[in-house]
Amino acid sequence: MAGWTRESAVGEALGIRQTALSRRRRIAPVLRLALLPLGSWSGRFAIFVLAAVVLVAAVAPALAPYDPLANHFDAAGQLLRLDPPSARYKLGTTYYGLDVLSQLIYGTRIVLVVGITCAVLIGVIGTNVGLVAGYYGGRVDGLLMRLTDLAFGIPFLPFVVMLVALLRPSLWNTIVAISMLMWRTSARVIRSQVLSLRERGFVRAARIAGASDLRILYVHIFPNVLPMVLLYVAFDIAYAVLAEASVSFLGFGDPNQVSWGQMLYLAYVSGSIRQAWWWTLPPGLAISLFVIAVFLVGRNYERLTNPRLR
Amino acid sequence: MAFWRYAGRRGLHTAVTLLLLVGFMFVLFRMIPGDPTTMMLGTGELPAEAQQRLRVLWGLDRPLWQQFIAYALNLLQGNLGMSFYFRRPVSEVIAPMLANTVLLMAPVVILAIVIGVAGGSWLGWRRGGRAEEIGAVLALIPRALPVFWTGIVLLALFAYQFRWFPIGGIREAFFFPENWWQRLPFFDITRHLVLPVATGVLASVADPLMIQRTALLEVRHEDFMVLARARGLSGRAQRRLARRNAILPVLTYSAIMVGFAFGGQVLLEVVFNWPGIGRLMVDSVTQRDYPVAQAAFLMMAAVVVFLNLLVDLAYGWLDPRIRGG
Repeated sequence: MAGWTRESAVGEALGIRQTALSRRRRIAPVLRLALLPLGSWSGRFAIFVLAAVVLVAAVAPALAPYDPLANHFDAAGQLLRLDPPSARYKLGTTYYGLDVLSQLIYGTRIVLVVGITCAVLIGVIGTNVGLVAGYYGGRVDGLLMRLTDLAFGIPFLPFVVMLVALLRPSLWNTIVAISMLMWRTSARVIRSQVLSLRERGFVRAARIAGASDLRILYVHIFPNVLPMVLLYVAFDIAYAVLAEASVSFLGFGDPNQVSWGQMLYLAYVSGSIRQAWWWTLPPGLAISLFVIAVFLVGRNYERLTNPRLR
Repeated sequence: MAFWRYAGRRGLHTAVTLLLLVGFMFVLFRMIPGDPTTMMLGTGELPAEAQQRLRVLWGLDRPLWQQFIAYALNLLQGNLGMSFYFRRPVSEVIAPMLANTVLLMAPVVILAIVIGVAGGSWLGWRRGGRAEEIGAVLALIPRALPVFWTGIVLLALFAYQFRWFPIGGIREAFFFPENWWQRLPFFDITRHLVLPVATGVLASVADPLMIQRTALLEVRHEDFMVLARARGLSGRAQRRLARRNAILPVLTYSAIMVGFAFGGQVLLEVVFNWPGIGRLMVDSVTQRDYPVAQAAFLMMAAVVVFLNLLVDLAYGWLDPRIRGG
């Protein structure tokens, strides 16, 4: 990795290009951009945490000592309620006699599914709304921005709770409800970027050369807003995971899935928070650690897009 | 563009936003299988005939758009319907809950801004130092903690373990003061406020803090700061000057923050059993008390929308350039 500095990566990957690059010259800067967080201690820590979550989620069935939804009983055949951490149950059991460690391990899957799906949905909706509104302007812009204002006018968590509760709680409904509002931030930011980009020389040149609107939008303008899209999507992953945990904590989680938010919900409603620290601390710490890791990755990229922070 | 024309246009946008919100909620609640007659009276217990008569009485037989107009007109007159669960007008149920929410969120917002400004100024002044780098990372942490989890941890520690604070609610049904300071007015409510407010402040302090820090960094190299140094102002006086001049972004952000607080407080109210409008909405959805749930949601949305309007108008008043866009 010798020979590249953070600034050169910025210049190549973020710099507004005046011409389209060849395929190979397009990939190298993207790779450097992807490896950028490894350049700082906080970034390395974040990447380590995220890699661990992905790995645990991938091999969850092999890693988890028990089925996360299996009840455990003691020698007398009684349900093993709130058993403190021991050699058999490393993080103890819940009020319902379930193994906390296994639940924690399986929870990583929900985090990844929610984070990635929401990021893709938000990225696609937000980017396209921003691109179209900023590029076409006029009435299209007015309409789309009113829609964005509407999304900003809706209180986020109450909306998600309401929608999920009415449509019946399921992971997919939660993801859709979260994405239905969260695109608003990236749409606004992308639009303002496009507003300035569309007046640049290379866009005018493309237009004179006879490029269609779609080609200008997705081949010439989109690559230039991509870093901004990635930055906002990164932060949205964190907020989406927090939102899913919140919805689950309020009791509207998918009843057939084990999520960290739902673990905390059950700990709270069963009145176990007074003694069962082994049940309440791990899921909360896990959520926090994941979100902090995503924030730290975002922070590393933020320095690129916002030079004032450098 | 004249300010009043700008204000009128923004006001119209707000009205349209509210109307769309009401319409969206209306449609959403009609998508639930069954109608209020099946929900209220159970299935099969009511003769089909009586059910049909109720439908006509409540106007449920009319086309959807007529129902919506009737609903919107009622809403304008402050008539939010009857609660299925409390058997009282929804407005009567909601008003005290709204007051409780304001009682909880006002100290949260004020404290978060005061602490954020102080902490942000401190960090900004130490730009480039090790303390600043660590401080900036530390400031990310409270934002990453799930609010409800912070609340659970504080409850387990300070309410269950040390028994310093009550485990939730807004006041004790039978509270007998044991000494003079417990006899102070509002002692009981204040005692109940401490943990939820602490949790709320922890969750919302990061944004004003980072905004103040950035603003201070920008102010530091302004001409008037150079002049202040040249005039030989003490370090404390310089910091004070910088802080005061950097505070504007935080103040404009504070209105947005109040909007975020409305809606975000749902978790706080649920964890601490605070009888506010957010918990009311969650409980009502669970109990299928749809008129209350709908009204509570619209109330929160209306607060957010009006605050947004207020911010826009303030911007437009202060900065005429905005009025054109």
